[in-house]
Amino acid sequence: MQERKTTEHSPTASGAGPDTGREVAVELTGVTKRFGEFVAVEDLSLDIYEGEFFSLLGPSGCGKTTTLRMIAGFDEPTEGNISVAGEQVRGVPPYRRPVNTVFQSYAIFPHLNVFDNVAFGLRRAGVQKDEIRQRVTDACEMVQLAGFEKRRPNMLSGGQQQRVALARALVNRPKVLLLDEPLGALDLKLRKELQLELRTLQHEVGITFVYVTHDQEEALTMSDRIAVMDSGVVRQVADPATLYEFPHDRFVAGFIGQTNMFSGRVEAVEGDRVTLRTSDGEKIEAKGQEAIEANSEAHVAVRPEKIRFGGDGDNVLSVTIEQVVYLGVSTQYIAVRPDGEKIVLYQQNSHDTAGPAEGERVSVAWDAANCLVLGG
Amino acid sequence: MGGKGRGWTLRLVGLLTPITVWLGLFFLVPLLLILAYSFGKSGVYGGITLGFNPGNYLKVFDPLYLEIIIRTFVIAALTTLICFALGYPLAYFITFKGRRWRNALILLVMVPFWTSLLIRAYSWVVILSGNGIANKTLQFLGITDAPVTLIFTSQAVLMGMVYSYLPFMILPLYASLEKFDTRLKEAAKDLGASRWETFWRVTFPLSMPGVIAGSILVFIPSAGEFVIPQLLGGSRTVMTGSLIQSQFGSARDWAFGSALSIMLAALLLAAILFYVRRVGADKLEGV
Repeated sequence: MQERKTTEHSPTASGAGPDTGREVAVELTGVTKRFGEFVAVEDLSLDIYEGEFFSLLGPSGCGKTTTLRMIAGFDEPTEGNISVAGEQVRGVPPYRRPVNTVFQSYAIFPHLNVFDNVAFGLRRAGVQKDEIRQRVTDACEMVQLAGFEKRRPNMLSGGQQQRVALARALVNRPKVLLLDEPLGALDLKLRKELQLELRTLQHEVGITFVYVTHDQEEALTMSDRIAVMDSGVVRQVADPATLYEFPHDRFVAGFIGQTNMFSGRVEAVEGDRVTLRTSDGEKIEAKGQEAIEANSEAHVAVRPEKIRFGGDGDNVLSVTIEQVVYLGVSTQYIAVRPDGEKIVLYQQNSHDTAGPAEGERVSVAWDAANCLVLGG
Repeated sequence: MGGKGRGWTLRLVGLLTPITVWLGLFFLVPLLLILAYSFGKSGVYGGITLGFNPGNYLKVFDPLYLEIIIRTFVIAALTTLICFALGYPLAYFITFKGRRWRNALILLVMVPFWTSLLIRAYSWVVILSGNGIANKTLQFLGITDAPVTLIFTSQAVLMGMVYSYLPFMILPLYASLEKFDTRLKEAAKDLGASRWETFWRVTFPLSMPGVIAGSILVFIPSAGEFVIPQLLGGSRTVMTGSLIQSQFGSARDWAFGSALSIMLAALLLAAILFYVRRVGADKLEGV
């Protein structure tokens, strides 16, 4: 398949990606879904490229599963259009769409063994018997279920059932594979293993994956690009690094990773350099992402690992260390500002020098470039 | 075994003793009596002399009686088939389209049970008899000039039986369909199965326990039924149940009646075993 490159999302692009020339696998245009009075998804526009591992990330009730179900055809959008592989799919029933789904509950057919479960889609498509045998065997091998073909679903563990669900969908070679929190029911260790496995598998088969999850770590680990959703609206679409380093708004900054947030009044704007005055009179230098007016209210955020000890930086605060948590690779410090607000910072444990102890008064500093002005 | 094990055993004995005594007294003892009678010899004015007379069983194979037994099984099988054909769509509809009316609809299915079977069978007589409601209506509408023979036919018996036993089919079907995970339907559709294929490949196979239970619950009492065939079939459509009843009643041949009972039970057991094996095996084979 194509070279895998993370592509900056440009909301206006409606055709192929501008610089990569990649085909759009799924295109949502102004999609709104209402259930009675409740708006599950509101005016959603999204391009998902061919061969991409794309995640819909958000808290429960944010509309991510509804979006997936509309692509699969289980729900129709109230307004707007969806195209899969260049074809409009409004009114096309699920069984005629070139997509397959891995369900959250697996939905393995309990009356069929592993082989018949995986062969289900091929048989419906009228594939020749010999080819079915070959493809099912290959699919089982691919998800490490070789030798389990005759097993009944009730004799499989959760992880194995998950693999059956995956093989059952992939064996049909869909244009797009939809995954609805497929690892949600598994324990942490198995989930971590399967995350990497799924990623590798996606590289191998080159099929577009649309992955729904509420677990930001999972989304960051696996995805080429992530759409962060909240209350039926997409807040930001970007690759994991961009999402983490340059969150657009307070919701994204708070949902992805840990962050320290400050709010205050804008005192001065000079290019992308914004000077903020907090309510307790502290001055904070930050980097603006969008045009902002002086004297308006603004929020800024800085990641815990961008803050260091010492008085050298664009922003310096005097704090008292309240708690020191040793985490192995790094140490987490929770510090309190004079006004009682808390700051979290991380230090790598790569040096022998010990950090400050609990109760110690220290200076912490960070640069304006790492301190972003947030929208919303 | 430790003290805990003994406590458990005691509890088990305590729980199972009442039902064991009950079934022993009122099921096993009568069954053994019937078995003993079936080899006995009936007195001319009733009563029975115990002994070993296999002749009672040979009499069952008399063409006269054999015809009745075959008719019994044909009518019972047809009753089961019609109950299934009528009951499955209804159970399916109530389960998947009933929404908040589900419980109310299932209650309606059970309404006929609130009246005695005898009264319900008699009401069919009122409807089907020569100058009954059905014939009056037909004549009023000008479809027929003279009364048509509706009652005392095997069709009338079949109608009455289907009417009486339909709930026994619907309830187990509903119970098994209700447990169905509708997400499996979505999975089937997602994998390219149309509505029809989804039903035949997923929904129906998974409702087989209900189909088996319902069929048995309808077939067994239908095969042993004697009230309905007597009231609606008259002397022309005699079934094994009424034959047995008459042996213990007017014919006073308890030995033959017992032999007929044992034969009927044995044939039913064989039929059920065959059915469960067939259908059960089919269900396990998959697609």
